[in-house]
Amino acid sequence: MAQFLQQLVNGLSIGSIYALMAVGYSLVYSIMNFSNFAHGSVIMLGAYFGFFALTLLGLPFFLAFFLAACATALVAVLLERLAYKPLRDRRAPFLYFIITAMGASIFIDNSVIATIGPTPKTFPQDVLPAFLRSGAIRLGTIEVGRIDIAMFVITAICLVALILFIDFTKMGKAIQATAYNMKASALMGIDTNFVIILVFAIGGALAGVAGVLYGMKYQVYPQMSSITLKSFVAAVFGGLGSLPGALLGSVLLALIETFVSGYLSTQYRDLFAFIILIAMLVVRPAGIMGKNAEDKA
Amino acid sequence: MEYIQGIAILIGINLIAVLGLSILTGFTGLFSFGHGGFMAIGAYIAAVFTARLHLPFVLAIVAGGLSAGIASWLIGLITLKLKGDYFCIATMGFGEAVRIILNNIPYVGGARGWESLPKLTNAWWVIGLDIVFVVVTWNLINSRQGRNMVAVREEELAAQMAGVDVFRHKMAALVASAIMAGIAGALMANYMQFIRPTMFNMAKSTDLTIMVIFGGLGSISGSILGTILLVSLPELFRNFAQWRLVIYGLAVVVIMVGRPQGLVGGMELTPAGIRKAAAARRARQQFRDEAGQKT
Amino acid sequence: MSDSPILELKQLTKRFGGLTAVGEVSLKVREGGITGLIGPNGAGKTTIFNLITGVYKVSSGEILFQGKSITNGDSWQIAQAGVTRTFQNIRLFKNLSAFDNVLTACHGAARYGLAEALLRLPRFRREERALREKAIGLLDIMGLADRADVLANNLPYGLQRRLEITRALALDPKLILLDEPAAGMNPDETLHLMKLIGEIRDSFKLSVLVIEHHMDLIMGVCEHIHVLNFGCTLADGTADSVANDPRVVEAYLGAEEE
Repeated sequence: MAQFLQQLVNGLSIGSIYALMAVGYSLVYSIMNFSNFAHGSVIMLGAYFGFFALTLLGLPFFLAFFLAACATALVAVLLERLAYKPLRDRRAPFLYFIITAMGASIFIDNSVIATIGPTPKTFPQDVLPAFLRSGAIRLGTIEVGRIDIAMFVITAICLVALILFIDFTKMGKAIQATAYNMKASALMGIDTNFVIILVFAIGGALAGVAGVLYGMKYQVYPQMSSITLKSFVAAVFGGLGSLPGALLGSVLLALIETFVSGYLSTQYRDLFAFIILIAMLVVRPAGIMGKNAEDKA
Repeated sequence: MEYIQGIAILIGINLIAVLGLSILTGFTGLFSFGHGGFMAIGAYIAAVFTARLHLPFVLAIVAGGLSAGIASWLIGLITLKLKGDYFCIATMGFGEAVRIILNNIPYVGGARGWESLPKLTNAWWVIGLDIVFVVVTWNLINSRQGRNMVAVREEELAAQMAGVDVFRHKMAALVASAIMAGIAGALMANYMQFIRPTMFNMAKSTDLTIMVIFGGLGSISGSILGTILLVSLPELFRNFAQWRLVIYGLAVVVIMVGRPQGLVGGMELTPAGIRKAAAARRARQQFRDEAGQKT
Repeated sequence: MSDSPILELKQLTKRFGGLTAVGEVSLKVREGGITGLIGPNGAGKTTIFNLITGVYKVSSGEILFQGKSITNGDSWQIAQAGVTRTFQNIRLFKNLSAFDNVLTACHGAARYGLAEALLRLPRFRREERALREKAIGLLDIMGLADRADVLANNLPYGLQRRLEITRALALDPKLILLDEPAAGMNPDETLHLMKLIGEIRDSFKLSVLVIEHHMDLIMGVCEHIHVLNFGCTLADGTADSVANDPRVVEAYLGAEEE
């Protein structure tokens, strides 16, 4: 029983990172109807920004965090303006967007490898505030890492902030409207251009936070963008384009992975993302919370 | 001389996979992140045939291609009727899954890789298969089946309305591209004499796609040019190895935004292809003149 | 012109969530006739086309083509059975030439398989030649032969619409659905189009169902008109009877001016 609870806690903490990644991806997807496959590289940059803000610039922890998120938001917006917007304006086919995303991702990942180097970096203990340093808190028989607690809390704060923003502010409602029907929203006077920038910025910021958290829990390395496959799977699992779905899918995916690696074998843990994906696509492609949309002629 | 021959053989091997990917992405408009996985299947099955079962090379090649084809058929059944994003994510997952599974099979070397495979690939095999596949690809594209694939790429809904069984054509493109990737993998295994799962990861998949893009989507001669260029360049610029991919990534974005037709301009470098492109340009010019006269 | 309908919609209904886009519409297209489908924007006309051609699933009701049900069929099978269409926002194969657009659509006229194509067997050569001749022939009839090499994207708007119709004819359809073929055309071009539709019907011996807002086109060319409003049938009859129907005048004809 104790092991079960321990695994549960582990799973939830990984799930919270997946959730931040998946929600950011799903948000952009719900507006643009397009998968930003460069999302992973933005996450990776977030980890590096956070790392350097803390070590090189010696900034206080929360400031560094905030800065990293702003930086990734900026990167995401630049990506949109320079790479995706020209394609959108030309009404380029879906294929072009994916290829461009792939190119951007390769460019960003390898720029980091070429400049900073491929060796993974670990957040040194002394730059982290006391409450985050390694070590765990005991709750009965379970050990919860301090980092894990921080991850829950930060993720929860971010997601709650996001929900409040989307459901209760005017800008948030504009985002919802644009997600539903971009042309109609534009006709209603919504500055869809700005909405797109905002959505990419939010997605980028969430990616940055996810990156820093991941880097703190594990390590910072340029190949991080491959974990985003998990976030894509989580988003599909929960229902592409649905934010609650992304959250649910992430948590479930992480729990399944953790229990598999805990009770069966660690080797095949990453394989489960793929198995779940295939199972989902066979049984219910719309995902747990997704709706089926039909193409208009 | 040996060195150049080595590069030429690598070009020839990769060309088969690139031609396949050209059919899938360049002509049918589907994007795959996982063709490294199909190459891996081909390579490992072929290695088992030659190194463990000691069967003739030709059987190994056929088995490699077919296995990759069957795997792709299964993926296609599940994902091709869904929106494009699902297919992309599924191929991404597939590539990773193949790598993880291969990492955990000691019989084929696991994560450390499999050494001392017999060297059976030579210039004759490569040249022969290259010719076969260039002809096959060409014949496919210039047939009604090929034109239907292009229609799927251009306007899927309109293609449906024009009586094209979109699913079947997508599947055909996918399976063809997977078989060709598998065959390339088989040739690779028995040339490099060493295979390891990381050789076939997503970086390999994107490498192949970049070769298609540089040459220009929808052009066979472009894919050939792209392959020659991108396989030989790294050899020429060994000193700047880490910057190679940085430049490639940037180049891909620039190409897609600025000149999607790639190097060759979306046409074929053959007498007929050049004539066709010239005719189109003439016709467009004639139109501009007419439009100018009206006003 | 025979009396049996080539297309029959029976109580066709389509709901999107809470919205009823098409409500219990029953409609007959006479074989060899030109029928018009009119109604204000949002009345459900294109939705009906999408239902007929298998793009949407019906919520309830039946669609019969030549007496056989094609309800919820695969779009491509419906097209091969003899129902083709054009689109409101033109969906040509933009990066292909006019000739290639039509040639691609001619594929049904050939029977060679993949093996014969890959090996360039005689059957392939024979049938390919026939396909090319057919494509050129169609372009000729539709007055597009001199633009054959122009990329579809570069054609002027009016000719793009004509090309779309040409492509729809390549499948030897028995029923052709035209979705606002005169959109964006001036009165002169509209007149040409009217004549063209009549000529197509006569020389290709097919039936036509056309959605339009241009009243002169509808009145000038349609023998039979079906009026929709908010997804439901408002009126159905000859051009004259519909034009004089007070409900139609009130809902639509009086206000609209194209």
